Amino acid sequence: MSTNAFITEETIEPDGDGPLSELTVAVKDNISTAGVTTTCGSAMLEDYVPPYDATVVSKIKAAGGTIVGKTNMDEFGMGGTTETSAFGPTENPAAPGHVPGGSSGGSAAAVAAGEADVAIGSDTGGSVRNPAAFCGVVGIKPTYGLVSRYGLVAYANSLEQIGPLANTVEDAARLLDVISGPDGNDGTTNDGGADSAYAAAADGEIDTLTVGVITDLLEGADDRVVDVFDDRIDALEAAGATIEEVSLDSLEHAVQAYYVIAMSEASSNLARFDGVRYGTSGGSDGNWNESFAAAREAGFGPEVKRRILLGTYALSAGYHDKYYKKAQDARAWVKQDFDEAFESVDVLASPTMPVLPPALGESLSDPLQLYLMDANTVPVNLANLPAISVPAGTADDRPVGLQLIGPKFGEETIIRAASAIER
Amino acid sequence: MTAQAVEQRELAVVIGLEVHVQLETATKIFCGCSTRAAEDEEPNSRTCPVCLGLPGALPVLNEGAVEAAVKIGKALSADIPEQTTFHRKNYYYPDLPKNFQLTQYDAPICANGSIEISVEGTRREIGITRAHLEEDPGSLQHKGGSIDTADYTLINYNRAGTPLVEIVTEPDFRSPAETRAFLAKLEEVLEYLGVFDPTRDGSLRVDANISLVDADAIDADGGISADALESANRTEVKNISSHKGAEKALAYEVTRQRNAIQRGRAVEQETRHWDESRGITVSMRSKEEEKDYRYFREADIPPLAVSDWKERIPIPELPDARRDRFQTEYGLDAESASKLTSTKEVADFFEDVAESFDPDLAATWVADNLLGELNYRDMAITDVADRLDEFTRLIELVDAEEVTTKNAEEIVLRSMLDDGDDPDTIIDREGLGKADDDEIVGFVEAAIDENPDAVEDYHDGEDGALNFLVGQVMQKSRGSADPGTANQVLREQLDG
Ligand SMILES: [Zn+2]
Repeated sequence: MSTNAFITEETIEPDGDGPLSELTVAVKDNISTAGVTTTCGSAMLEDYVPPYDATVVSKIKAAGGTIVGKTNMDEFGMGGTTETSAFGPTENPAAPGHVPGGSSGGSAAAVAAGEADVAIGSDTGGSVRNPAAFCGVVGIKPTYGLVSRYGLVAYANSLEQIGPLANTVEDAARLLDVISGPDGNDGTTNDGGADSAYAAAADGEIDTLTVGVITDLLEGADDRVVDVFDDRIDALEAAGATIEEVSLDSLEHAVQAYYVIAMSEASSNLARFDGVRYGTSGGSDGNWNESFAAAREAGFGPEVKRRILLGTYALSAGYHDKYYKKAQDARAWVKQDFDEAFESVDVLASPTMPVLPPALGESLSDPLQLYLMDANTVPVNLANLPAISVPAGTADDRPVGLQLIGPKFGEETIIRAASAIER
Repeated sequence: MTAQAVEQRELAVVIGLEVHVQLETATKIFCGCSTRAAEDEEPNSRTCPVCLGLPGALPVLNEGAVEAAVKIGKALSADIPEQTTFHRKNYYYPDLPKNFQLTQYDAPICANGSIEISVEGTRREIGITRAHLEEDPGSLQHKGGSIDTADYTLINYNRAGTPLVEIVTEPDFRSPAETRAFLAKLEEVLEYLGVFDPTRDGSLRVDANISLVDADAIDADGGISADALESANRTEVKNISSHKGAEKALAYEVTRQRNAIQRGRAVEQETRHWDESRGITVSMRSKEEEKDYRYFREADIPPLAVSDWKERIPIPELPDARRDRFQTEYGLDAESASKLTSTKEVADFFEDVAESFDPDLAATWVADNLLGELNYRDMAITDVADRLDEFTRLIELVDAEEVTTKNAEEIVLRSMLDDGDDPDTIIDREGLGKADDDEIVGFVEAAIDENPDAVEDYHDGEDGALNFLVGQVMQKSRGSADPGTANQVLREQLDG
């Protein structure tokens, strides 16, 4: 089979010159492109053509980048394998027969297969880092508020950021230089990253850094993954970094908290898809409520329905305090744990994924197992922090990624450390 | 309780209001689209990705709307929080672009305010529980029936995103008349603040909760116990769009509920629709399930720190204060002061006139003459606000006795409003310049010549004769003669 990295292959020419001139860029299909279909991997938006460009798309075009197409993804970002896409699965170019990870699987696969020089994805609970790790490329999840989300079709808007994927840390950082910065169309952006030079930070100088290894995230991981990870940490120490072990008690609640918050927000964000303006009309039999229900029944896939139902439930009167509020408390605790850890270390490290890429079709039947795959990535989203996944090696011929987490707007630090691992 | 006892129960009225006010900002609350409907605008022409709720679009808070709400909060003596946040109110409805409404929940921009009203000389304080900001939905046009029976429905998002303030009162009203007085007062205050345009269609929308309780549940100050309130079945009346409508709708509802109770029937707890044209409320036959809006914080709008906005944002002198000042500063009576402060524009106009003239003269001209003539023509002070110069010129001419008061009122002012001419032009054209003494002597001689009978009556000592002759002189002068001068000259000629 072909890689199936793209849902739509269509060239969008640049309208300026700059750091991306001569580079081809693949864009995840949940990021709005004026005049070019933006499906979010869903039948619901199969024919949806946005009338406007996302801020990052405008910036890429202005910086000289040539967009080559819109990449495959789990439906509305809900999945970690790109198998919930309404447009068929994507194959992992670095591990044929296996999933590319997700939900930005198409973006990672496009870069790994050489179908684009760089790509952008979105990361709600690991959706950039997970496919970067599985496909053996670099992926960055920026600090919440560093990159404008204007034009990114929301899955869980308090958690997600748009981030770059590339074959090298420096290329990913170069793309981050282009897409970051405050945007009048996104009130959550700010100038926290002002004066940063991300590509220039990829200098491999690590001898003054203290790296904290999060022991909690090694415990549940596949031994083959841990072995590759340990080798890299040893190499860092040999190169002059100081290594410490760090334990964060809050992390055992992170997956539950993440899914309650993400599903709750999703139930609201996806409410607008009711068949009136998107998807197939629910028809005019019965009242409008029945028509809406029919359109949603037809337009959404099973994983999306599952998350909308669970999210609606978690926000409902009588359950709100038990689930949504409790998840917010856990989120605050995770943030606090990270803040405390960064008082003594510069970056935190863990395997990006606790497992090796599963074979295509192997994991979809067990959603709970899939959710647990996100254990190492979701804490970063809960805490609004930046993180990078960098290739660490392979096991059983499948790529393993190493995740570095930085303090708020600490992108330069994690880029520097990642570039040392890359060498 | 026997039927006899039921009939004898004395009942008291308990009403609380929720008032939706469209704020008069230049742009919508979360995007740059105009809030002003252009004449004959196309449906969905005043929209953008944000107010259409397109996938990926994000709301950016218009701080002008927050400022307007803070002004309202100051006028209501309300508390302004340290920071204000927005929530999503989740429900499906075809006029909602996102199927949730951005509104405020646990940190409303105003809380714990009050407004004092006066009904038939009794002053009452109405508590304001809260006032919060939210976005207006789009509007639906059902073709060929109601939402359930229409052949099809058209959606227009031009209104979507217009900033609203929802003002929620305590259940402090004890009569429909009080709600009318409150709404009139509220409108007046909002106009003074410059945050509200009453001429906009749908700019004020009122929902009312009303129940009848045992009269002895109400204490001497008009307060009511929570228990009594809780145990009474109430109806929510929707679709009220004016203060007059509120009084009518609630008076109807009082009668309807009282009759039900006195006939021994329970008042159904339900939502009712005010049908203005028929003058009745109609059950919306909705099954009364408790709605669950699944409120949660909107992460796309960061908290806005507003603790110092109350000091930072000035508000103009409010109508009550201005009324009091007009009485003390200009020595006006209560009625004139009230007329002259009915809108901010009238009060400003008066103060501009009073700068150059005696306040009594200015008050008479603005409150009685000008407002009377404007009212007669269905015009407002704003229609003549740019003709202040001409108006003061007219008073100047009257003050200098260049034109008689009567002519100034009945001919010059009316022609100014009807024909748009300035006073000097009108006086010239109509020959209304005040007659000089020579001219008056001429009119007097003519009157004496033409009315020998009246002259004889005068010499016979008949009382009415002189007045008749004065009238003749005035007529000949077309009112331009001074009646006192005419009187004096007549007597000189007759007696001399
Ligand atoms: Zn708009």
